[in-house]
Amino acid sequence: MEITLALIKPHVLRNTYAMQQIRALIAQNFTVLDQKEVHITKELSAKFYAEHRGKFFYHRLTSFMNSGPCYALILQSEACIKKWRGLLGPTKVFRAVYSDPDCIRALYGLSDTRNACHGSDSEESAMREIGILFPEFKLDAVSREVKKKT
Amino acid sequence: MLKSARIGLGIRWYTAKAKRSVLAQDQSKVKEYTPKVTDNHEHRVYVWGFQETGALGLQTSVKKAKERYTEMVHHPTRLQFSNNNEITDVTAGYGFTAYAVQRDDGETLFGSGLNTDSQLGFQVKGNAKDPSNLDVIIYPTAIKLPRRQEETDEDMQVKSMSAGRAHLVVVTKNGTVFTLGNNSYGQCGRSIIEDERYSGSALIHRIPQEDICGKEDEITHVECGQDHTMFLTKNGRIYTCGWGADGQTGQGNYHTAGQITLIGGDIAKEKIVRVTCSSDCVLALNEAGDVFGWGNSEYGQLDDSEHAETQINTPRALKLTKGIGRIKDVAAGGSFCMALTDEGLVYTWGFGILGFGPFVEQTSRPQHLLPPLFGRNDFSNATTVVSIGCGVFHMGAVNSDGDLFMWGKNRFGHLGLGHKKDQFFPFKAAINGKVSKVAFGVDHTIALCKPYF
Repeated sequence: MEITLALIKPHVLRNTYAMQQIRALIAQNFTVLDQKEVHITKELSAKFYAEHRGKFFYHRLTSFMNSGPCYALILQSEACIKKWRGLLGPTKVFRAVYSDPDCIRALYGLSDTRNACHGSDSEESAMREIGILFPEFKLDAVSREVKKKT
Repeated sequence: MLKSARIGLGIRWYTAKAKRSVLAQDQSKVKEYTPKVTDNHEHRVYVWGFQETGALGLQTSVKKAKERYTEMVHHPTRLQFSNNNEITDVTAGYGFTAYAVQRDDGETLFGSGLNTDSQLGFQVKGNAKDPSNLDVIIYPTAIKLPRRQEETDEDMQVKSMSAGRAHLVVVTKNGTVFTLGNNSYGQCGRSIIEDERYSGSALIHRIPQEDICGKEDEITHVECGQDHTMFLTKNGRIYTCGWGADGQTGQGNYHTAGQITLIGGDIAKEKIVRVTCSSDCVLALNEAGDVFGWGNSEYGQLDDSEHAETQINTPRALKLTKGIGRIKDVAAGGSFCMALTDEGLVYTWGFGILGFGPFVEQTSRPQHLLPPLFGRNDFSNATTVVSIGCGVFHMGAVNSDGDLFMWGKNRFGHLGLGHKKDQFFPFKAAINGKVSKVAFGVDHTIALCKPYF
C-alpha cells in the first residue's frame, strides 16, 4: 500500500475544532503510521520546499511555515496520495471555497498561503518529504512488510 | 307621544353634558402604546455564524453546549451578554471576538472564542490555583489589562480595537496600546522570540502611543490584517508592524517586522482618514476621497495592468478607482475590494461573489450595485448606503435605515440569512435593531445595533 505525508499547518493547529475534524477525517480514511509535532524552521523548509525556490511566494510560504509548530503524519491506504489530495482540495483557497466547498482547504483555509494542510504530490516526493521530516522512520521496513503481506 | 316616535326612528337623545362625559370616558380607555423595553442599554449585539469556537459567546455551560444540534447559528441571534452590559464596540478575529464594555466594576474589555494563542489574555479554568488554562472560552470573559496605579476606569475605556488571526490590539482612551496573542511575525509590536509559547501566556504588551507616533500626534484607529497591525493617527499617518511577506505592512520590503514603523510611498504627504484590511490586501482613504492600496494583489485588486505585480510593498495611489467619484468608505477582503462613493453607490471588484448575479467572477473594473438592492424604493427614495465592510470571504453594507445587507461566500452560515447557501446579490439580514457597526470575522459576524425605541 501507498504511503504519503500529511502536514497540518500552524494556523489550523491553533484551531481546536478544525484539528478534531481533520483528525477524525484522517482516522476514517487512513492508517496513521507515525505522527508528531514539528517546527518547520527556515533550514527545514529550504529542504522541504526546494522545488519552489525562486517563486514569488517562496518567502511567504517559508515564513508562514516557520510561524508556529506544524503537525506531521505519515498516512497509509490504497492510493492514499490521490485520496489525501482529494480531501484537501485545490491549493488556492479563494478558488476552492467556490469550486470544492466541502474540502478541508475550503473549510479551514484562510488564504492561498494559509491553506490548512499539505499533501505530497507523488510517490517520490512523499518519500523525500517523509525522509526530511521523519529521518528516523524506516521506509524499507514498511515496503518489506507490505511485500510480506501480499 | 313625541318621545316614543324618536325611539322608533332609532335616534338617541343626549344632553350636552352627558355627551361630554361619555367622550371623556372613551379617552381614558384609549390605550397608549408604550413598547416594552427589556433593557435600557444604548446598544444591543447580534451574533451569527460558526459557534464551535465559542466566538459567538452564546453558550453558558459546556454541558449544554454539547447538547446542541448544529455547529452554526444561521440567524442573527441576540447576545445575552449585551442585555446585562453596555457594549460600545466589537471586533472579530479568526474564531474569537472582543467586546468593549462600560461597567461599574471597571472592566472595559471582554472576549470569547479561541484562546489558543492567549489572544484573549490568560484565562484559567475555575479558580486561579487550577493550572489548566482555557483554550476555548464559550461566554464573554473579562480580559484584565495591566493598569498603572494612576490610571482610572475612564482612562482604560477602549478607543479603538481590532483583531487578527490570533492577535488582539486595543487602544485605550488615554492613548495606551495593548497587544495580546500571537507575535510570531511581530504583529504585537514587539521583537520576535524564537519558539515563544503563546498558549497559556499571561503576557500583555503595553506601548505608550508617544513611543509610536510621538507626543504631538495621537492614535485614533487600529486595524489588523490576519497577521499584521496598522495604526492610524490624527494627523493621517500610518504605522505598521507584523507579517510583510505580501507587502501588507507597506514598509517597502517583504520582511517580518516587530518594530512599529511609519510608512510612506504615495501616502507620505496625504492625510489618511481610513485604513481597512481583513486579510493581506490593504486599502486606505485620504481626506479628499482618493484610494490607496498595498499588499496582496493576486486577484488584480490593486492593479489590473498587464504585467501587474501580485505583491505591492509600498502604498500606491490606485488607478482603478479613478473616475468613479469621491469615495467615502473602503473595505478590503481576501480576494476582492469594495468602495462607497459620496452618492452612496457601492462598487466591488476582484475575485469572488461580487454581488452581480449567479456567478463567481473576476474583474478589475469596479462596478456599482444598484441602490434598490439596498432598500431604496418609491416609498423611501432617500434610502442610501452609509457604510460598507467585509470579511475575508463575505461583504456587507448598512443603509441609512440601519438595515444590514449581506452577500458572498456563506462560510458556516456567517451571512446570517437563515441558510447555508452562498448569496449572489445583497440580501437583508433580519436583525431586530438599527445596525451601527458590523465586525466581519472569518467565519462569524457580529453586529452592534441600536434598539428601534
